[in-house]
Amino acid sequence: MSVNGPHGEPTGARLLVVDDEPAMIRTLRTNLRGHNFQVETAENAAEAKASYDRRAPDLILLDLNLPDGDGFEVVRHIRERSGTPIIVLSARGGERDKVNALDLGADDYITKPFGIDELLARVRVALRHLARPKAGTERRIHSGELVADLERREVTVGDRAVHLTPTEYDLLKVFLTNPNKVLTDRMLLQQVWGPDYGDESHYLHVYVARLRRKIEDDPQEPKHLVTEPGVGYRFRSEEL
Amino acid sequence: MMRRVVPYVAAIAAVAVTTMLIGLEASRAPLANVSMLYLVAVLIVAVAFGRPAAIVASLLAFLSFDWFFVPPTHQLVVANPEELFSLALFLLTAIVTGTLAARERARAQEAKQREREATLLYEAAFLMAEPDLERALAAVAEHLRGALDLDGLAIETDAEILPRPAIAARDEAARLALRGASSELRVLDPHRRGRRIRLIGPRQHSGGRVVRVLPISAAGARIGRMQILRRAGAAELGPSDERLLAIAAAQLGVTIERARFRKEALDTEVLRRADELKTELLHAVSHELRTPLASILASAGSLRQRDVVWTDRDRDEFAMSIQEEALRLDRVVGNLLDLSRIENGSFVPHKTWHDVGALVEDVAGRLRPVTTEHPVRLEVQDDLPPIELDYVEIQQVLSNLVENAAKFSPPGSEIAIRVGRDDGHVRFEVSDRGPGIPAADADRIFVPFVRLSRPGQSARGVGLGLAIAKRLVEAHDGAIWVDREVREGTRMVFTLPVRSDVR
Repeated sequence: MSVNGPHGEPTGARLLVVDDEPAMIRTLRTNLRGHNFQVETAENAAEAKASYDRRAPDLILLDLNLPDGDGFEVVRHIRERSGTPIIVLSARGGERDKVNALDLGADDYITKPFGIDELLARVRVALRHLARPKAGTERRIHSGELVADLERREVTVGDRAVHLTPTEYDLLKVFLTNPNKVLTDRMLLQQVWGPDYGDESHYLHVYVARLRRKIEDDPQEPKHLVTEPGVGYRFRSEEL
Repeated sequence: MMRRVVPYVAAIAAVAVTTMLIGLEASRAPLANVSMLYLVAVLIVAVAFGRPAAIVASLLAFLSFDWFFVPPTHQLVVANPEELFSLALFLLTAIVTGTLAARERARAQEAKQREREATLLYEAAFLMAEPDLERALAAVAEHLRGALDLDGLAIETDAEILPRPAIAARDEAARLALRGASSELRVLDPHRRGRRIRLIGPRQHSGGRVVRVLPISAAGARIGRMQILRRAGAAELGPSDERLLAIAAAQLGVTIERARFRKEALDTEVLRRADELKTELLHAVSHELRTPLASILASAGSLRQRDVVWTDRDRDEFAMSIQEEALRLDRVVGNLLDLSRIENGSFVPHKTWHDVGALVEDVAGRLRPVTTEHPVRLEVQDDLPPIELDYVEIQQVLSNLVENAAKFSPPGSEIAIRVGRDDGHVRFEVSDRGPGIPAADADRIFVPFVRLSRPGQSARGVGLGLAIAKRLVEAHDGAIWVDREVREGTRMVFTLPVRSDVR
């Protein structure tokens, strides 16, 4: 991860592509190698787990629909061992699978069919997370106009101090410490409200709406707190 | 008419016989004993023929007693006032005992009828418990017809529940009479539920017989009818028989209603299943269309990227993905079109004479991209006759089987295609070393959109290949099946007939 590619992204990273479609594997392998990644491939869950255990890749692109079992099993296997970023590829129509995969610890998802540029962008974002010191250990977090001082629990947008209730602050903190990552409703509820919560999405929607009114220039067109339809929210950080 | 007179004739006869018996002994018998003998006669008449006959017998006995035995005899005059009193007493006693005895008789008869009714209805209820409504109603109709000694009995209801009326008849003429009556009624009464049924008079005459119609109701709505056919002029049905019919009609109402609920529940279930199937189908089809699209889009997108200078080899890889996946899309769409064409009946095979060996080699060659990971063994018998077939369609059948074999068997395992003679047919076999097909699913796999999923493996494809293959083979008067003899892997077999003139 020492070489910088044409987009300034860390290259030479080792990716594991798991998909049961030979054509998709071939295309992704060729494309990602062309973008200076090292690419391993697996066509089923067993191969994927074996390859992960052997090669310890930096990032996994995982199709959930595998012939010999669920992609979820692969997510579980990896999450029991490390926090290696997992981007889920799924042609399934339902949002349920994505939410399940994210709840199990996948970092992001992309729905098939996808644009190849979109996929590369997601890969770069996930790899930059790795390169950064772990979010949350910093005391001050910047994203454009938004500055949060986690030690003093102070949030400002430009020159304007933002007054947040404790719950609003806790919610924003979860977003700030997981920049650019899809967070499912369940994850957010459990981190802010506690482990007994999970189905009370309406609480969450109310608080997200309030936060948007306080930190977004235009709450109708949020730049930071972006909705991932049917899945959850993502805090889009301008620092990345 | 005759039956009505019998009790009175009997009453007269009984009194006459008694009078003669007493006449033989009159000189010795005291008058009190004479009156006792008459009372016995009245009692017998009462028990045997009922109250009216008993009263008639009482009056006759009274008159005969007075006329023949009370002095002065042969006059209706009584000399002694004491005897007048005992004569009056006799009449009273005769009438009272006669009436009481007749009532007792009526009760006994009633009890017997009730018992018969209960038995008949119990038997009818037992017959109605039969789950097949048509059979149940036919049995009930025959049961009631026999019990009531009718010429015929028909039960009709909504044609959706019971397509034909259940008819029980003594003879063919009666059956025809009922069938005629029912069709006549059906024209006027379309049997719509919730609609008042127009009943055509209570009686109709046909061929010296009388049809009577009894409505069958449930929950206040008329849901059917019972028709009974009797000879014109036959004795009226007694109150007991009428009651029996009414109760039977009520029971039939409940039975038919239950059958209707069952049918409705079934219809709902069928609809629900069809709906589920449609959802599954859409899911499968969209997945099957999107998967190749995803590879095509990713490859096309890659080719257009300017940030990387692709080598010729890279470009080839992308182009290959695009080409392969476009072909795959074409196959999926083709399968869908084929099935709809076959299903809506517009499919007619264009048969011409072909060499089977060439066809098999052609298929094996075309499918090489699909079977890259499997060695394919061809065994084609030398002396096969040419067969009249639709080349494109049979090629597709064989392709579908080989594609399945490649898709479901582990890489590196052999796929064998064998073709040989088999008793007036040419037999094609495609064998693989895959997981095999459970015996329970051997027929199901030919149903459109049925895909088998195995533990630890998700179902793949749309589930059309075998459904199409079956229809195409059958359009050639052939047959297709899973060979159940095979222990390891799967062996699909289909046969095509060899025309007799070239055998």
